[in-house]
Order: sequence, then C-alpha cells, then structure tokens
Amino acid sequence: MPYLLVVDDDEEFAAAVASALRKHGHEVALEHDPDGALARLGEQRPDAVLLDVMFPENPSAGFELARDIRRDHPDLPILMLTAVNQKFPLGFSAGDIDSTWLPVSEFLEKPVDLIELCERVDQIFR
Amino acid sequence: MTAPLATSAPTSPPTPAVFQLPPRATKAKETSVDQVQELAALDAPLLRQNVHWFCQLRWLVTLLLLLAAAAGHFGAILQPLGLAIPAGTMLAVAGILVVANVIYLRFIPARANGDGEPARCDNIRALRLHVWIQIVLDLLVLTAVVHVIGSVTSYAPFMYLFHIILACIFLSRVESLVVAAVAAALYGGCVALEGFGVVEPASVFTHPGRLVPDESPAAFWAWRVAFALGIWTIIWYLASRLAGALRERERRLAVANAQLNASSRERARHMLQTTHELKSPFSAIHANTQLLTGGFCGELPDKAVEVSEKIAARCQVVARQITEMLQLANLRSEGQTQPASKKLDLADIVQVAVDRATPTAAGRGISIDFHADPVSVRGVEDHLRMLADNLVGNAVNYSYDGGVVSVACSDAGDSAATLTICDHGIGIPADKLPHIFDDYYRTREAAQHNKASTGLGLAIVRDVAWAAGMDVRVESGPGWGTRFTVTIPKDRQHSALRPKPTAESHTYAVSARG
Repeated sequence: MPYLLVVDDDEEFAAAVASALRKHGHEVALEHDPDGALARLGEQRPDAVLLDVMFPENPSAGFELARDIRRDHPDLPILMLTAVNQKFPLGFSAGDIDSTWLPVSEFLEKPVDLIELCERVDQIFR
Repeated sequence: MTAPLATSAPTSPPTPAVFQLPPRATKAKETSVDQVQELAALDAPLLRQNVHWFCQLRWLVTLLLLLAAAAGHFGAILQPLGLAIPAGTMLAVAGILVVANVIYLRFIPARANGDGEPARCDNIRALRLHVWIQIVLDLLVLTAVVHVIGSVTSYAPFMYLFHIILACIFLSRVESLVVAAVAAALYGGCVALEGFGVVEPASVFTHPGRLVPDESPAAFWAWRVAFALGIWTIIWYLASRLAGALRERERRLAVANAQLNASSRERARHMLQTTHELKSPFSAIHANTQLLTGGFCGELPDKAVEVSEKIAARCQVVARQITEMLQLANLRSEGQTQPASKKLDLADIVQVAVDRATPTAAGRGISIDFHADPVSVRGVEDHLRMLADNLVGNAVNYSYDGGVVSVACSDAGDSAATLTICDHGIGIPADKLPHIFDDYYRTREAAQHNKASTGLGLAIVRDVAWAAGMDVRVESGPGWGTRFTVTIPKDRQHSALRPKPTAESHTYAVSARG
C-alpha cells in the first residue's frame, strides 16, 4: 500500500484529500506545516508527497519545502496542489515545472477534483 | 471525429444576424498623477507641431512682406493712399525671415529615440529653446518693421499683439508675460531711440506730420507708447487668464483621468486578490462535497444524497466562475511577463476541447461532429485552449437536447487558420449580439437555458482574440442557431497588419469595456 504524505495548512482540505486517497487504497499521513513535514520525512520516507504552495507564515514555503525534499530525496515524487492561480500572485504554472525552480513532478490547481487527484497519484506510481 | 462540418447555413427559415468582434479600442495613454503636474509644459509632439505651425505662419508673413516690397517698388500704386513703402527694407526683412525659417526647419530637434523619460525631457528642453529663439528673433524683426511703418505714427505696434496672444495660448502665464515684456522693451527701445534722435524716425505715411502735433511731440510719443502698452497689458491679462483657465481644466481632467485609471487598476487588483482568497476555503468545501457525492463517506440516505448533489452542482458553478474570473484577470493583468507564444497544432487543441465537452453533450444526447485539417498556428497555448473550451462548451450548452454541434478547423491560406463552431441551439437575437462579449452579459434566453452560465466565457474569448490578433465573426438568430468563425493568424506578425479601429468600432469597443 503506497504511503503518501499530504502537507497543507488547510486542515479541512487536507483531511478531505486524505479521506479520498485512503478510500482509494493509500496510506496517508497529514502535516500542516513545512517543519513538521520535514521531520516526518526524516522518520519515514513516503512514496509520494502532496504539497501545498502557500503557508500562512511564508507564501512560498511550499517551493522551499519542495527544494529541501528534492535535495535529500531526489527521486521522491512531489505532486503540488495549489490555490495559486497561473501568474498570480507568484507567477507560475504547470509549464514552469523544472528541476531547480519548481522541482515537482506534477501540478494540480485547486479546487481539485478528487477523482482526478486519485488518477494523478496512480499515474505517479505507474 | 466524424463527418465533415456542413459549412452551409442550417436550413431553418430565419436568417441569422452577423456580428464581427470589433478590434480592441486603442488604449488612451495613461498618465500618473505625478506626471500630470508636468502637463503644464507642452508635450514634445504638441510642441513640435506648434514649431512647424509657427514656421508655416512665418512663410505667410514673408509673402506679405514681399508683396509690400513689390508695392513699394511700384510706388505709384500706393501714392493715392498716402503711402510710401521702402521696398529695399521690406525685401531685406523678408530675406532675413526666409533664411531664419529655413534654419529653423532644418534644426527642429528630432523626435527623441525610444520612450525613455530622460530622452523625452532633453527633447522638450531643446524644443523649448528652439521656440524661444524663434520668439526673440521674430520680435526683433517685428520691431524693425514697426520702425519702418512708423512706431508712433501708425497702428503697427498692435502687431505685437499677435505674438502676445500666441504666447498666452502656447506658453505658461509667466512665459507669456516675459514675451509681452520683451515686446514692450523692444518697442519702448525703438521709440526711445527715435525720440532721442539716435535713429531717424521713419514712416510709410507720406504725411506723418498730420498725426504728430508740433507742440510737445515727446509727450505725444510717450502717450502713444503708454496707450499701446496699456492695451497690450489688458490683452495679455485676458488672453493669458483664458488660456490658463483652459489649461487648468485640462490639467484637472488629466488628474481625474489618472485617478480613475489608478482606482480601476486597484479595483481589478482587489477583485483578483478577493477571488484568490475565496479559492482556498472554497477548495475545502468542494473537496468535502466530493467526499459525500463520490461515495467516500459510505452509503448516505437518499435525502442526504440529493442535498449533497445540489451542493456539488453549485460548487461546480462557483468553481467555474472563480476559474473564469481569474483567467480573465490574468488576461488583463499588466506589468507581467507575456506568456510565450509558440507553434501549436490547432486540431490537437480543439480535439481536447471537444473531448472535454463530450461527456456533457452525451448526457443530453447532443452529438459533436469534429472535422480537422492539419493546421499549425502560432499562439499562447493556454489562451487558445481557453478560447476553444469556451466556444465548444457554449455550443453544447446552448444546443437543444439531441442536437448536433459541428466543429471544424481548416487552413485559410498562407497567413491564417479558421476555427468554426456551429450549433442549432437557442440562438441570439440580433439586438443582443453586440453585447455578447461583455463581461457578465447573458441574454434572458441564455440564462433560462443554461443556469450554470457565468457570463464570462465570451469575455475570455474576446480578450484572447484581442491579445492574439484573431478575428471573431458571429452569425446567429433565434431558431437558427449560432456559428462562430475565428480566424487565427499563423504568425503573430500578421496581427500587426490588422486595420486600425474605425470610429464606429472604437465607440463600440469602449461600450464593451475593452
């Protein structure tokens, strides 16, 4: 059973995503801040990370966390979930995914279709 | 992909009205509130235009002087009028003006290269210097002419008024006062030189003695000069005040315009921020609703399923509305890096839009006929996808159940490709066609037929078309259906060849909040 780590400051959204992924057959852990996520990554390496971009203390904490994760776990798939719209306010889109600036595997814009999310996660493990 | 698109009009009897999306209205130059303070000084293009106009006016004056010289040469013509014009002097003055004018025209400061602020300022400074040289030289020449005609024995001094009034119109109040003072000094100096006998008084009148009394001529001259200067002062005061009031009104309008632009930008930014802020909590609502409707929470009572499906349906509408508002805001956002345009396969993009609309269409028994010729266009992929999604989605949404939507893309020659989307749905009344690209505009019929419509889809189509230089033609009529024909340039350079907005389309585009 794939083990997923969902990192999102919105607890309700993260819980809903976790419910859908669990129902879909995944084991899911939740973290609501980047430091907690890094600590948990150190304890047990997940098979993939679902990561939000903006956190209350730092609007680009998701990017920084993605880079930190990539540094220690270069092969770990990261699926970025964000309410940040293309070009606003940080200015990126799925087309900007690259190994240095936005080192993620997939990009999905909120509001997320949970069925599509499950399919994307399946694609990662294919 | 099925049968080719039937390009002939649907056979229903009503005739469709045709509407062409007008080009984007040329955006008025925006001025910041700070820059407005600088508007009292003339803008470089306007100043340059005036410099040219002064030179043309000078040619006219030269012609008059040449005529006067000719008349003076043939003295007999003027004799009955009591005039004797010194032809040589007039010819010399005309010659000076010709030489000066040629030099002025040769050395008008060229347009500043680029839009850089320092270059523009240097340019304005050079132009102003040019104007002042012209003014001073003209006043010197005029003083010579006044002396020749008769500085106190004629009405020639009133010719200075032309200069004073022009200065009031084109220069600031202080500068026009300087022009008036220079004119007064030159005229006063001329009269004084004549009065003290340094220069022999001249006159074109053969009997000037009639105007000058034999007793106390100095007092008469002083009175004449004072009278003339008094009149000049009054004229300067009136003209400069009037011109100042007009300039002040223009400045206030520019300030108001700048404030409006700033507040409009602030409103757009605020709307974008608010929409974005709404997106996060909405994502949680949306995700939880999907948990209920997607069976992630186990079996629900029928009533709960019904309620959660209603919530889910509304969530879909809000999600679409938020996405479209952000898409539109992004299309209109300024100061951001323009997305890269690249070579795109139009058929691929339209195929994705058709695939996306197919589940909804199938649910209502609507079939989509898609015929695609292989054709490449140049554009921004996201934008073209938005355009295709909206037009194909609309064709399905506004079709009747069981209808047919025809979609085709084809090569339209060397420079363009054509995308045609045709439905046989509710259609648009002719009087409403010009408004369909407005933000949030929905016809009553459309709102009744498709309650989930946001009214932003065609506004997105319009903005994409404007950004990429596409032409959009709409044929529609109730009972006939709607056909959109989009002409997409194969190369961005072709968009630069589009005709300038006509007066009619400009007016329309403004009303379309372009």
